[in-house]
Amino acid sequence: MKTILLLEDLPEIRAWLKTLVLQAFPDGQISEAARVHDALELVSAIKFDLALVDLGLPDGSGVDVVEKLRETQSECQSVVVTIHDDDEHLFPALQAGAFGYILKEQPREAITEQLQRMSQGEPPLSPSIARRVIAYFATQAKPQQPDLMPHVSLTERESEVLLRVAKGFTLPEIGVQLGLSRHTIADYVKQIYRKLNVSSRAEAALEAQRLGLFRR
Amino acid sequence: MARTEHLEGRRVAACRLAWALAVWWALWLPAAPATAQPRPFADALTAEDSGLGRFPAETARRVVSLPDDWSQTRPRERTPLWYRLRFDTTGAAGPAELLGLYIERACATVEIQLNGQRLHAGGPMSDPPLLNCQRPLLLTLPAALVQARDNTLDLLLEGYPLQQMASSRRAAGLSSPLIGPYAQVHDLHARETLLAVTLPMAGSALLLLSGAAAFVMARGRRIDSHLWYFGALAIGWSLINASPWWHALPLPVDASELLLASVPPLVALPAVQFLLHYAGWRSRPIEVALYAQCAAVPASLLLAGPLRIHTITTGWNTLLLLQVLAAMGFYLWSTRRARRRDFWTMAVLLAVAALMLGLELVAHQRPLPTPWLHLSSVVMPLALVAIGLHLLQQHSRARNTAEEGRQALETRIREAAADMEKNYAQMVELRVEQVTQRERKRIAADLHDDLGAKLLTIVHTSESERISTLAREALEEMRLSVRGLTGKPVKLIDALGDWRAEVFGRLSQTGVEGEWSAPAEDLPQTLSARAYVQTTRILREAVNNIIKHSGASRCSIRCTIDSGDFQLAIQDNGKGIPLELDGRLDRGHGMASMKHRAKQLHGQCLVESGPGYGTVIRLTIPLERHTTPA
Repeated sequence: MKTILLLEDLPEIRAWLKTLVLQAFPDGQISEAARVHDALELVSAIKFDLALVDLGLPDGSGVDVVEKLRETQSECQSVVVTIHDDDEHLFPALQAGAFGYILKEQPREAITEQLQRMSQGEPPLSPSIARRVIAYFATQAKPQQPDLMPHVSLTERESEVLLRVAKGFTLPEIGVQLGLSRHTIADYVKQIYRKLNVSSRAEAALEAQRLGLFRR
Repeated sequence: MARTEHLEGRRVAACRLAWALAVWWALWLPAAPATAQPRPFADALTAEDSGLGRFPAETARRVVSLPDDWSQTRPRERTPLWYRLRFDTTGAAGPAELLGLYIERACATVEIQLNGQRLHAGGPMSDPPLLNCQRPLLLTLPAALVQARDNTLDLLLEGYPLQQMASSRRAAGLSSPLIGPYAQVHDLHARETLLAVTLPMAGSALLLLSGAAAFVMARGRRIDSHLWYFGALAIGWSLINASPWWHALPLPVDASELLLASVPPLVALPAVQFLLHYAGWRSRPIEVALYAQCAAVPASLLLAGPLRIHTITTGWNTLLLLQVLAAMGFYLWSTRRARRRDFWTMAVLLAVAALMLGLELVAHQRPLPTPWLHLSSVVMPLALVAIGLHLLQQHSRARNTAEEGRQALETRIREAAADMEKNYAQMVELRVEQVTQRERKRIAADLHDDLGAKLLTIVHTSESERISTLAREALEEMRLSVRGLTGKPVKLIDALGDWRAEVFGRLSQTGVEGEWSAPAEDLPQTLSARAYVQTTRILREAVNNIIKHSGASRCSIRCTIDSGDFQLAIQDNGKGIPLELDGRLDRGHGMASMKHRAKQLHGQCLVESGPGYGTVIRLTIPLERHTTPA
């Protein structure tokens, strides 16, 4: 049995998403929330396996919930469900620890399939997100306070996968090109997301430390 | 560096000193030719005046050597004294030649008789007296009165004893008279007048002018107090130096001597203050002491009485000289320590001034022989004028420096103002850009949150599949519009990646086989957000058509860049687009909107299709209009 958090402010969409989630995970136990505040309370009370989080909410951003889940329930898979398909909205959520994202307007079948794939460990990765990740790690690679910063870098294979995604190749295609199984490619992507999150957290901690030093 | 400047200053100062000496000796030298010079009388028979109006031959007692200084020969007497001189004209000059009598100094006044005939009367001795002490006398000896032999020249001299006079220059005395051809004695007289009267007067006038100029320069500038004191010094000294003109003060002799003796402390005060202030040192106690001294001098003279004027004045003048010398020493010491550039100039000028002051002090005590007698009254004003010119030069230099500084400052202010204006303009531009960007973002957010949410609700709640699809398409359109609204230019290589991912993502869900060819190298071109969005729409529409209508089993997409155009060819092996009755392609397939969009980008969209031949859509967009240099 899966415990699932569903954070969505529009009632119709929430209801629709609920039926969809139940379709994908028939034995799922769903906790619904319409606001960030409610969701955070649920997170501190219940241990979730999966969280579907909308980004633009009346009392804040779903990124906060993603962050809280990552901090307190590292086993939980956070998936952003959003109307925004651009990397400017998605990237912060991925940095905060989201495992993937689903565009809301997709047909029911597509979403169900994506959900199932994610639960099997195959997160989605679009070319624009891949480019953002490449650019992010490129700036991280520049030497800046090497002592303070736990250095997180991508392996050659991970970079290769990202470059191919950026060029528009689908993950199965890349698997064929590199002679790897679909499962291995998915593992790379998961690893990339994880490193993105770790590096972002380190960066945030460093920034907080710097501010602290500054204030002192 | 400072050392070379010092050496340079020393050289210039030495040159100036040499010049001054050369000029002085040039003036004095003509007095020296010894040839054919009439000889001055070496001695004379003297007699006390008995009020007869002639030489009292019966009481004539003794012979005195000339020149006769009363302070030596009769220090206490005040009665006038007769001098008798005898001379012959034979051998001295031709018979027809006009003879002249020249007396360099007859102090205070003299009456002259030749062979019993009165030739000249100097003036009355009653108060206020006429003191002709510093003016040489020249008389013509009338030929009718002159005999060949045994001429008698009687001189009645009246004067005041030295102890009563502040300066020995006004103490009674007679120099050796001289009789000779008029032309010769006239020359002697002219030279003596030049040295004793004209040059000191000219010097005084110059000095007066310098003092006035210094006052004008110092006006309203507290920092230039030394200029003020220099002005006072120059004017004070010009008055002292003009003493030949004070031979007829409308005062009793005691009063006029007191007055003249009170002047030196009034000049010493600005002299000392000038030197101290110019060295950059101000002392209130010294200033007070100097002012007190100005009052103490006349007070002490009054207390001591008229007969001790000379002694007291000599004491005071010595003291004043020491004060001024001390101030000079202090000034030179401090400027040398400060390594001022004008050290040597000022050192030489001050040395000259100090020498002249010493000479003046000596001349006050006892009569000096020419040329020493007049040296100080000619050179001292010149030295002071030179100092004045030096101050003027420094003043103008300082003013130039200030002017340059002001101009530099003005330039800097102007540059700063220009910078500020530029920055302001940039800021405004940036601000406009920011505001525009923010407004776009707000519109985009509104569209997403309101319109997007509603469309989404329709997508997922509508019973009708058609409405659901329409709403979904509307949502996609909206998203593209928002991207066109807010987006930055997109690199062509990135756009190709996006398009490929989208096309293959969709094809993979349908089982249509896809083939993609595009330049693999890094392309420098970029697409404007608008061009990116419109091309995305055209591509999406074309792929939609293939999936929904064509029944094709495979499609190929070729992207090329050809002479500045971006070309996209989408080909399928489907059944083609059926023609409408009017010969146009089916509007339901969105061909019209594709063409419209291509036109908006100043490109074109060609569709080739025939039943059974599949469809080719060729899109051409001129890159230069929609790209910005990478």
